[in-house]
Amino acid sequence: MPAATLQQEQRRLKWAMLSPALFFIIAMIAFPLFYTAYLSTTDAFGAVNAHRSFLGLTNFSDALSDTRRFWPAVARTAVFTVAAVVLELCLGLAVAMLLRRPFGGMRWVRTILMVPLLATPVAVGVLWLLILDPTVGIANHLLGLVGIPPQPFLGSVAESLPTLVLIDVWQWTPMMTLLLLAGLSTLPEEPEEAALIDGASGWQRFRLVTVPMLMPVIITSLVLRSVDALKTFDLIYATKGPGGGSSNEAETLNVYAYGLTFDYQEYGLAASVLVLFTVFIVLIVIALRRRSAKDQP
Amino acid sequence: MTATLPKSATAPGTVARGRTRRSGARMSTGRLVGIVAVAVVFTAPLVWMVLAAFKTNVQIGNPAEAVVFTPTLRNFGTVFEQGVFLPAMWNSVVVGVVSTALSAILAVPAAWAIGRFAMQRFGNWVLIARIIPAVSLLVPWYYLFAQLELVGGYTVLVLSHMFVSVPLITWIMIGFFAGLPVELEEAGRVDGLSAFGAFLRISLPLATAGTATACVLAAVFSWNNFMFALILSGENTKTLPVALFNFISYASVDWGGLMAAATLMSVPVVLAAVFGQKYLVAGLTAGATKG
Amino acid sequence: MLNRRGLLKAAGVGAVLASTGLPLAGCGNSAGGPDGDLRVVMANHVWTTAIRKRIPEFADLARRRVLVSTMTADQLSSTYNVKLNASAPDVDVMMYRPLQEQLLFARNGWLADLTDQVSGEPGYDWADFQPASRERTTVAGKVFGVPVVTERPTLYYRRDLVPDGRPPATLAEMFDTAVRLHNPAAGLHGFVGRGQRAGAVTMFSSYLYSFGGAFTAEGRSGIGTPEAIAAYGYYGRLLREAGPIGATNMTLEQVTPIFAQGKAVFAIDADAVYRNFIDPATSVVGDRTGFGAFPAGPAGSRPFNVPSWGLTINAFSERRDAAWEFIRWATSREMVLALQAEGVPGARLSAWRDPAALAKFPPELAASMTASIQTGVGADRPDVVQVGRARDIVGRPLVASILGQDVVAAAADASQQLDAFLVRDARQRKI
Repeated sequence: MPAATLQQEQRRLKWAMLSPALFFIIAMIAFPLFYTAYLSTTDAFGAVNAHRSFLGLTNFSDALSDTRRFWPAVARTAVFTVAAVVLELCLGLAVAMLLRRPFGGMRWVRTILMVPLLATPVAVGVLWLLILDPTVGIANHLLGLVGIPPQPFLGSVAESLPTLVLIDVWQWTPMMTLLLLAGLSTLPEEPEEAALIDGASGWQRFRLVTVPMLMPVIITSLVLRSVDALKTFDLIYATKGPGGGSSNEAETLNVYAYGLTFDYQEYGLAASVLVLFTVFIVLIVIALRRRSAKDQP
Repeated sequence: MTATLPKSATAPGTVARGRTRRSGARMSTGRLVGIVAVAVVFTAPLVWMVLAAFKTNVQIGNPAEAVVFTPTLRNFGTVFEQGVFLPAMWNSVVVGVVSTALSAILAVPAAWAIGRFAMQRFGNWVLIARIIPAVSLLVPWYYLFAQLELVGGYTVLVLSHMFVSVPLITWIMIGFFAGLPVELEEAGRVDGLSAFGAFLRISLPLATAGTATACVLAAVFSWNNFMFALILSGENTKTLPVALFNFISYASVDWGGLMAAATLMSVPVVLAAVFGQKYLVAGLTAGATKG
Repeated sequence: MLNRRGLLKAAGVGAVLASTGLPLAGCGNSAGGPDGDLRVVMANHVWTTAIRKRIPEFADLARRRVLVSTMTADQLSSTYNVKLNASAPDVDVMMYRPLQEQLLFARNGWLADLTDQVSGEPGYDWADFQPASRERTTVAGKVFGVPVVTERPTLYYRRDLVPDGRPPATLAEMFDTAVRLHNPAAGLHGFVGRGQRAGAVTMFSSYLYSFGGAFTAEGRSGIGTPEAIAAYGYYGRLLREAGPIGATNMTLEQVTPIFAQGKAVFAIDADAVYRNFIDPATSVVGDRTGFGAFPAGPAGSRPFNVPSWGLTINAFSERRDAAWEFIRWATSREMVLALQAEGVPGARLSAWRDPAALAKFPPELAASMTASIQTGVGADRPDVVQVGRARDIVGRPLVASILGQDVVAAAADASQQLDAFLVRDARQRKI
């Protein structure tokens, strides 16, 4: 078979396979994207149709110079995401390794593992709000049984964000585990068996054989989870209310943008925050992909 | 220690069965303790939720009655007397199945193209859809679909759910397809398969584990999606989250009702997961590339 | 052609075409037209539960199907925001919060002008509605909505725990008793009340007024005055010294269970939700709960008395006449009386004067409500277009006080911000 035809056939095929999905996404996203970008250059307030004036990049400079709400929100978003995703990755990998080899009852454990994932995020938020209620919740009750004084958890300014990270870890580690399990199942056994024969310890096998082979799946799971974690909303809104709490202690960028839109009706500023937020995420994703490209030969 | 490439793909089933038999039932205590701990940590709050569904609001607020209490069914009564549960569940099923299926059809080939031919840039583009916060989509979408007179119908719900699922499935599958050695497909080409045939008969089956997982996740996200359904659904197409979570009353002290609603919402999915486990497990243990 | 260049070009053209030239001006998406089903959107509330049972009657009378959607207040807000911004015609009757959304919606042109309808029929008797409530749904002389529920704060107290079994008459008395009885180790808190900024500001307004303060005065900030600072200080101290931990995250939904579990001596919150405190399914202390008027501060007892919810008509609706019929039916003298008799505090004076209707409320509560109607202040939040931001500004000293921080500094800072805000907001008020 002449090489040219094969190449052409492949090229045509790959575009044919890719286009439907790409077109679909672009069709759904084009209008909102351009509209948001447009709004971000105006002082739209109250109603999007109401009279508004063109502001150029004023909204952006306002947002970027806002040290009261914008930059703290950026910081909180970063802290929350990094903490949650790192924990989810490590725990997820640990649990995946634990469940990797088949065992009796495996089917049940896998199902149980999925349930936090299946529960609606809004319900999960309210559930934890009840469990962690400082006065009538069961968490403090249990702590009291072992002599620990009642904790404010979500009622405290300082403890709120860490508590939210832990709740997020509880809810999303199963997703990491599922993805990593699927990835582990596609790995060939020979390299690990060879390493075992060569006398490598369990930990060495894991670190030097399993993880490198699993890296593509680890990276994709990491990126996917990071993007979602950056946008976390339901959990924070259900537990802390508008604005991320009374002192904005849990206000991440998404919560801030939501508040600007629905609480303050400042659509121009909200749009600019959303644009900045999207740009941040894109930069992070690019950075992550660059890192992973470097790790791959 | 290098990863040796398998010389050829053997039939998945045979080796897997052999592996299971070999691993047997012997498990170290450490592993057992770990597994039990994992199971407890992830289920305890949900057990509490299910128990709360059977309690009155007074009992929920009383930690002493956490485990031992007289159960009541009135919360479930409240949920069902709204009269919307079964229709809403049907809507959720329809939208979920259709959107996941259509998303898979769009996403899996796209993921193959990106993973196999290393089209990184497009992988990122697909992810952009997942990056956009929903807040910026609501008003433009509502307006757009209102113009097209689609608001309130199944179409708009399926489209909005697909918007979430397609990037998800694509992104997950890219990793799986990228990890498949090119030699396998080339061997297929040598045997006379077209390029598409190589995808269909060689790469796709090998990625079953990923496909199953991705579709399950997509279906779950669709099942739980609240925001889009709240704005875009109509009387007859209300999905379960919208139908259930909007009955929280002023001074929503009806915790019992809420927990009952959440429990009821999770039951169909859990059942599907239990019975679907068979396929998932088969996919997870059988799809390995062996040499 | 299926190569990269072709693809990108097509995508670009498609995207630009799809997004330009689509101004969000209202265009007809019929949703049924003038003879279609009437769509009513309501919030979850005791009023909604009560009226919902009767809607089939109306559907028969009007010979038209009525589609009812109910949702929480938050979901309602976001739904209105999205749909009205897109000029949606698929909502007819809207239940809304006059104090939160009136000015904004009127300014946006989203509400139908009901002035002619309310004064059109002699039997309707618009003057029968409480004057303060009527004022709140009227903007620049035009009536935009009809109030359906009024609320006031009431003091919930434990008859078995307070001295003499009587409620405290002054805020100072309540503070002393609360602190004295506060015993968290034994599971009893002196006082429980809202602390989460967004929801606490409205409750706090009564304290502010009772200390002689106000949110604004003649277009300028009033929260930096000594009276306001005293009010902030009082509420913060009360929660700090006699309240549960985690007070700054407490909404009404968390206040109620604490009192209902018997873990608090006093609670002050809306009277419309009184059933949650006495219904045996939600409260173990129902038989020991008393109701009192809002205790007096240095400037007397000045609780708010506000129309918390009202009905209005979507300006883009194609069924305005049918929508008005619904509102007229739901807010007629007979209907409001009937609802009042079921425990829903309405906005018509005639219903409040009817002893039979009042008798359905627990006697102490009825007395406290009637008293508050006489002395009540007609607003529980700043009277501005952009209520959300104003609420957050005036709420900041409140949170600072609850956390034990410097109230004076916080109030001064917030007051400055409020001044700047009021100037900007005034420009938005043109209807």
